[in-house]
Amino acid sequence: MEENGNAIEVGRVLRSSTADFTVGTQQLIADQDALTPRLGALIKTVGAQGNVFGLICNVTIEDDAFVRQLVAAGVNNPVMIEDQRQRRQVPVVIEVLTVGYGDGNAVCHRLPPQPPRTLDMTYVCNNAELRLFSERHDWLRIVLATPAVAVDQILVAALRTAAAARPSLYEQEQYLVGAGRELARLLALDLPRLDGILRQLR
Amino acid sequence: MTLELNRLTRDVDQMGQAMTVRRAELASRAAEAGRVLASQPQVTAELLQKIEKARQIDEWRRGAVPLGARLDERRRIERAVPRAVLIAADGSQIFPDRSAVTLYYLLNIGAIVFREGSGQAPACLNQPTLYYRDEDLYDADGQLRTEEYIGAQRNRLELAALADLAVAEREALGGDLSTPIVVLIDGPLLPWIRSGTDNEEVAREEIDFFISQMRRLRAVQAIPIGYIDRPRSAYVLRILELINMPLEEITRDRLRFGPFVGLTDGQLFESLLPGERTGLFEPNSRANERYEARSATDGVSGDRIAFCYANMARPGRNEEAELARLEMPGWVAGRPDLIDIAQSVIAANCEPGPFPYVLARAHELALVTEEERAALDELVSQVMWRHGMTPQLSTKAWTKQLTRHPRRS
Repeated sequence: MEENGNAIEVGRVLRSSTADFTVGTQQLIADQDALTPRLGALIKTVGAQGNVFGLICNVTIEDDAFVRQLVAAGVNNPVMIEDQRQRRQVPVVIEVLTVGYGDGNAVCHRLPPQPPRTLDMTYVCNNAELRLFSERHDWLRIVLATPAVAVDQILVAALRTAAAARPSLYEQEQYLVGAGRELARLLALDLPRLDGILRQLR
Repeated sequence: MTLELNRLTRDVDQMGQAMTVRRAELASRAAEAGRVLASQPQVTAELLQKIEKARQIDEWRRGAVPLGARLDERRRIERAVPRAVLIAADGSQIFPDRSAVTLYYLLNIGAIVFREGSGQAPACLNQPTLYYRDEDLYDADGQLRTEEYIGAQRNRLELAALADLAVAEREALGGDLSTPIVVLIDGPLLPWIRSGTDNEEVAREEIDFFISQMRRLRAVQAIPIGYIDRPRSAYVLRILELINMPLEEITRDRLRFGPFVGLTDGQLFESLLPGERTGLFEPNSRANERYEARSATDGVSGDRIAFCYANMARPGRNEEAELARLEMPGWVAGRPDLIDIAQSVIAANCEPGPFPYVLARAHELALVTEEERAALDELVSQVMWRHGMTPQLSTKAWTKQLTRHPRRS
């Protein structure tokens, strides 16, 4: 992942559908201290038809025979480890759940009419984009309807990230209270699940 | 599946039995070679005389001259080198294909600069070069370049890349000589020149280029090492065959059918302990003679390549000896401290198995896969279309594409 001005690059789209897409990158591990997109982070693809927004719902670090041999042999040489992490073409695969699309100031919390294209660049949304995207809570419905494993964890992570994008503690708290109310409405018939999400949000 | 393995099972079984018999026979002769080495390890004037006579009688015989006083010398590296730079390069190629859409060849050089002790990711380089002009593709007689010629070009690019990187690295170190730079080549150090080549000028050019790059490496005090994994050579065995052979009985037939033919020096030195190496030897090859002659300057005799065998196994990790032949220029061979450094740095780099990591990575960086070759061919086709040409495979190549995948039955 690279920082290009204010926009932090995540990687390029490997494959996509209107409901989700997969991003590949090489350098996720190398920059993990500062720049790794975390579970639940909001990212966007930039294409000719506007942006597609998505939440990172899974990150997979691929391996190969060389890496397996190094692990099996118990290699501790830091130069070799950094070589494997930064220089070898073993992709880090990031799975993304699509939660909206739009451009400029217009954001729709619906699935896009077309998926992102292969090799579109993806960026981590900055705080202003996060605030704009999460102003309304309609995107929560898309996430809750996703059959993905650990979707509640992704939702909690995304809500915490969106809250952290607010400048003051008061605004952060107000945002989480509002999101909690919306969740209570959406999960009125599934109280154990609602309870689980709210407990993790506290 | 095209290969009908069921038809081979009997042959494979017989092969296994033959291997067992052969192994026992080789072990017996290896033990005999070991006894000769143990009983007469001294390098005597008479032995040197025999080696010289054998070389004169049969220049094809790949013997060697021992540089030490004993054939069974051993030296052990005692200390690790905490900071060092290890540079390796490798190359691969796409040979010109008469059946392809157009004639070209490609050389791809991969190189790695591994700064041991830095904790930083190494620098990796990749340099592909496309050759498509007539002067690239055809020789003076209008013949398509041979694989041998392209291999030699690849060898030159690898050497030049290594020298460039070593010079740049020494500059980056501010000329500081306390950090050793070891330059590793996968295979023999001297360029391969076909035995009995009728074109002495070509051989001279190859050697001269090699010398020019060695001088660049020497100028920045880099240590060039040719690393031969699991060597099949029998230089020392060829010496042992001479020990009990009277000088006057040395004939071509006796040399070619010596008692240790079929054995390798690896079997002779498998008792080397991890971190140990043998004494030094100089190959009695025509290439080494050319190198010596061409590297001589006014008043200064020429250099000769030398080698030793070393056990690159890790104590406690590898049960059996993992022998490598380490080749080096004479100006390195004359400095045991430099060999110690090189051996230590290379041994520390042998991960995850007893083979240098940097050589494995350089190979990986250089390798052109079938998929990449297909992608390049596709790119060439697109460019031809764009320029109004119709790329066309030969009928032969087209048919082969149809049958490339496994047959159905």
